[in-house]
Amino acid sequence: MSALLETVDVRMAYGPFLALDGITLAISEGELVSIVGPNGAGKTTLVNVLTGLLAPTSGVVRFKGSDIAGVGPVTLAQRGMARAFQLVHVFPCMTVAETIAVAVVSQSGKSMRFFAPVREDAAVNRRVREVAEIFGLERKLATEARLLSQGEKKLLDIASAFALAPEVILLDEPTSGVSSADKHALMRNVVDAARKAGVKAIILVEHDMDLVAEYSTRIVAIQAGRVLADRPPAEFFADPGIIAAIVGKRVGRLAKEH
Amino acid sequence: MRAGLVVAAVAVLLALPHVLGPYYMTLVLPAIAYGIALLGYNLLFGYGGLLSFGHALFVAIGAYCAAVLSTRLGIRSFEAMLLAAGAAAVAVSIPVGLLSVRYVKIFFGILTLAFGMLFHSFLFKFYNITGGDTGIHVSRPSLFGRDFADLGQIAFLVGPFYYYCVGLLVALGFAMWRIVHSPFGLHLVATRENRRKSEYLGVRVRLFRLIAFAISALYCSVGGVILAVNTGQADPELAYWTHSGDLVFMTVLGGFASFFGPIIGAFTFVLLKAQLTGMTDYWRFWLGVILLAIVILFPRGIAGLGRDLWARVRKA
Amino acid sequence: MIAFLDVVIGGVFHAAVLFLVAAGLQLVFGVQKIVNLACGSFYALGAYFGVSAVTWALGAGLPPALFLPVLLAAGLAIGLIGPFIEALLLTVYHRDEAFQLLLTFALVLMFEDVLRYFWGADPQQLGNLVMTYGTLSAGPLKVPTYNVLVIAASIAIAAGLGAFLRRTRFGRILRATAENREMSLALGVNVRWIYASVFTLGTVLGTVGGALVVPTAAASLDMPVSLVVEAFAVVVIGGLGSMRGALLGALIVGLMRAAAISWYSELEMLSIYLVVIVVLVLRPAGLFGKPVE
Repeated sequence: MSALLETVDVRMAYGPFLALDGITLAISEGELVSIVGPNGAGKTTLVNVLTGLLAPTSGVVRFKGSDIAGVGPVTLAQRGMARAFQLVHVFPCMTVAETIAVAVVSQSGKSMRFFAPVREDAAVNRRVREVAEIFGLERKLATEARLLSQGEKKLLDIASAFALAPEVILLDEPTSGVSSADKHALMRNVVDAARKAGVKAIILVEHDMDLVAEYSTRIVAIQAGRVLADRPPAEFFADPGIIAAIVGKRVGRLAKEH
Repeated sequence: MRAGLVVAAVAVLLALPHVLGPYYMTLVLPAIAYGIALLGYNLLFGYGGLLSFGHALFVAIGAYCAAVLSTRLGIRSFEAMLLAAGAAAVAVSIPVGLLSVRYVKIFFGILTLAFGMLFHSFLFKFYNITGGDTGIHVSRPSLFGRDFADLGQIAFLVGPFYYYCVGLLVALGFAMWRIVHSPFGLHLVATRENRRKSEYLGVRVRLFRLIAFAISALYCSVGGVILAVNTGQADPELAYWTHSGDLVFMTVLGGFASFFGPIIGAFTFVLLKAQLTGMTDYWRFWLGVILLAIVILFPRGIAGLGRDLWARVRKA
Repeated sequence: MIAFLDVVIGGVFHAAVLFLVAAGLQLVFGVQKIVNLACGSFYALGAYFGVSAVTWALGAGLPPALFLPVLLAAGLAIGLIGPFIEALLLTVYHRDEAFQLLLTFALVLMFEDVLRYFWGADPQQLGNLVMTYGTLSAGPLKVPTYNVLVIAASIAIAAGLGAFLRRTRFGRILRATAENREMSLALGVNVRWIYASVFTLGTVLGTVGGALVVPTAAASLDMPVSLVVEAFAVVVIGGLGSMRGALLGALIVGLMRAAAISWYSELEMLSIYLVVIVVLVLRPAGLFGKPVE
């Protein structure tokens, strides 16, 4: 299977400091790849390269076969990749419905329409409702984003990324700030929604190793700008070397589960 | 409910010539001109989040187009003036906009201020073309080809011309309402609310800001044409920064977070200014004081006050 | 060649004065995150007040050679309206930037009429007083000594400001508050007082700048707007928050302005705005700060 999103020997240098030192990875259809690693390991830089925000100093990054080095968020969204952030970004004075509609409208190529009220566009409204229902926000459609709870804002952020009908979605710590009880529910929702929505691959940046273990098809561990390991969960957690480097003290519990 | 209010307001406007004497009618025309201009200005400011201190530039372009067409080129059709003014304003707005929308808020304001003053200096200095500080005379236009030669200047202005302008206000207002509620409008608001997030949702921020800029220029130039026909003169002071300041003031006074706010602001401003200039030479000082009071005490302007009042009445 | 050097000196002189205003802007922005559209109005106020002060002093028997200290004193004195203006700004500190712009813009409107009320619509000037200090000559080149004095003064103030910010306790507290207001508050710093002081310092830099320029240029009602636009061009080149940038920016804008005026002297106003627009548009990327999104 050819890769949907891949990097080939990507290096990112900030002056003398090498944030990424030769990263090669490929993400194919049907995968949920988690990127893990300690803070400062280069995860954020890698994610920025993967999502076309940063052009690597050397190496190639390709999405669906075309080079996306530094293309920027707008082009990326148009090509079919969406990203949800760790720090919640909302449109404070726009309602949930309007926020999701922004994505729906841009995805359906209708953004250059000047005289047709969005309110009256049945197709857009139907899709907005669909997406809102997936994330349990259908009762808050008319609420302004700034009045939502932190958790709901998070959901809205992810929901609006989904509304782009992307082929690949990158979730940056989607469950941070969400209570432990809700984490699994959120992840399940997201994975199900992705399947239903035709999302072909998910990239997950997470610190919560339980979630990573449960939902990933593959785990990529980054350390000091390099790929430490790139394995399916079973192999990943079976390797004590990796565990010690990345997971640290949770060896006991996970060792028991796998 | 809102539709009812609008219909009532239009009805009132149409009835005004029969109720008010000519003195007050000469105030209503500029109010309508500014109302149209501000509909466009607020697209950029209220909806797009870009505060321009130079939009009098486009009002002046409209006025001078009307003047040049009628006096220098002998074209008396009001429709031609409107078309020429709109085309000229959009044409100028594209390079100015392209240069300006790259910049973050305050610098956008300063750059637009600079462009406005550049145009003012140009109008002033190149007096061979522009008539210098006296400006250019504007001859009375024909409406839909009709001359109304039998009417005196005042009768023309408060009669057929007035109704035409009310029609323009309604038509352009309706168009702006649709624009603001369209997909374009939605995306424009998104760029104001969170520029970065809107990019991630596929919104081409700079392009949309540029389009909003051009539309605002168009509306301002139409306002300028009406102003020029009303006074019979196009002069450089129309492009001076204080005139841009008037536009800002009116918008904030009326309430930039509301669709109708700026129109309310236009009418209020014209009345207010008429009162103030009657009382003192230093009326701009008092305008500044009022702007200060609005910013500090009721930033949502008159429209905001109205909404709060209405909410309180509903609760009682 | 002479003409060229004349333009350079004229440009550096204007840059010296511009730098003072821009430095004031930078300080206020750095500490309080407020951008003050009324900085040009303060400049004009200093200019007008300077004219009045010197004219009065001369009338009261002051020997002409002492006009410079009087100018400086006048600039300093009128700058003390700073705290009162700052009190007004309190209301918009934590609100959207648009309100800051609107509030300072309201001040510009008010100042316009205040200036007109006290000094009328005609430009005010000090005639040939600038020549009291004579001219310096280096070969065929002649420069009014006054201009050189002002340039020297500006450099001194720049150095003084730099030292003040880096070496005094107050300067350190200032920089700390600029970095992290909450922390400073937690450490017992009287942030209110810091804000008032910094704003006043910024105002004084503006009024002194205006006072210093007035012997060579008339105080006029055009000043507030043309200066604001120039000051921001300086800040754009130099970056918002960098003193070194303000210096470089002031030099570039000052020199370009002098060049434009000498080329098209009738179009003075027009060329100033043109210069500012060109500078704002061609701003070299990554020079010191980031006014572009």
